[in-house]
Amino acid sequence: MSATADRLVAHYLKRLNRELRDVPRGSRREIVEEIEEHIAEGRAGLGEEDVTAVRVLLARVGEPEEIAADARQRLGLPPRGHGAREAFALIGLLIGGLAFVVGWFAGLALLWKSNAWTTREKLVGTLVVPGGLLPAFLLLGLGATQCGGGYENELTGPVEQNCTVTFSLPGQVLWTALLAVCVVGPFFTTIFLARRMRRPAAVDYQPSPGSA
Amino acid sequence: MVDRQDALLAQMRRGTLQYCVLALLGSDELYGFDLVRRLAGVDGMLTSEGTIYPLLARLRRDGLVESNWQESSSGPPRRYYHLTDAGRAALEDFRREWGRFRDAVDTVIEGRGRP
Repeated sequence: MSATADRLVAHYLKRLNRELRDVPRGSRREIVEEIEEHIAEGRAGLGEEDVTAVRVLLARVGEPEEIAADARQRLGLPPRGHGAREAFALIGLLIGGLAFVVGWFAGLALLWKSNAWTTREKLVGTLVVPGGLLPAFLLLGLGATQCGGGYENELTGPVEQNCTVTFSLPGQVLWTALLAVCVVGPFFTTIFLARRMRRPAAVDYQPSPGSA
Repeated sequence: MVDRQDALLAQMRRGTLQYCVLALLGSDELYGFDLVRRLAGVDGMLTSEGTIYPLLARLRRDGLVESNWQESSSGPPRRYYHLTDAGRAALEDFRREWGRFRDAVDTVIEGRGRP
């Protein structure tokens, strides 16, 4: 029994337990215990145990998400919709960048962990616009600095006037266009991802057939 | 195409797998791993092995199966499953209904409808 294989199994069981968290405790414990026994039985049957064989074994047992979806359906529990995690992903991606940038990365991590979106949708979420609304705020800040600089030079002059002076016309157009993209992009992505969000494939819910 | 086929199988499996488990337990007392191995030997009956355990939990909750621990010659004790009387009755009901249902579907899809 290699330590790496033990770790793989422990990690798998932990994931399974987490995925089953909305299943009543009694049933959850039964299911996890029996799958643990199943894995032990499978490992005992492996001639020479290597990590690859254990990985294959775990793959045959199935993805914890899939087993949990099946358990909810079998036990007559409502399917777990995409909830808190996905909502946090969207919020993080949109405005997390403003919270010292880390919020955006947190949103990004949640986005890629979730199975509510396809890889292509996740790419859109990542690239349009990296940092969420942060770039827009930086651009606004840039504009303000430019204006502010002018304002300090001519203490009595109105801000607007200084802005037009500081920015050349092409610069202004570029700035406005960029700002528009940086504001519209993140909102577009948030709406896009919210609409594309889906339930896990394994769960097209129907009440399980009643007992005889 | 494969997706659609998978979905179709999944749907049919959903309603029938529990009776296949009851049927296997009707002739033998089995433990989970054994049950999985027998089902895995039949094409399309089991996608991932782990999903047998939620099913067993449900069958136990409904009182159709019971389990008890038995010593094993190799390794730790095993949890063996067997049918209860209610499980046996459910299996008999299913056998009867399944035969009728299968014939009815065959009649329609093979165009052997009454004149």
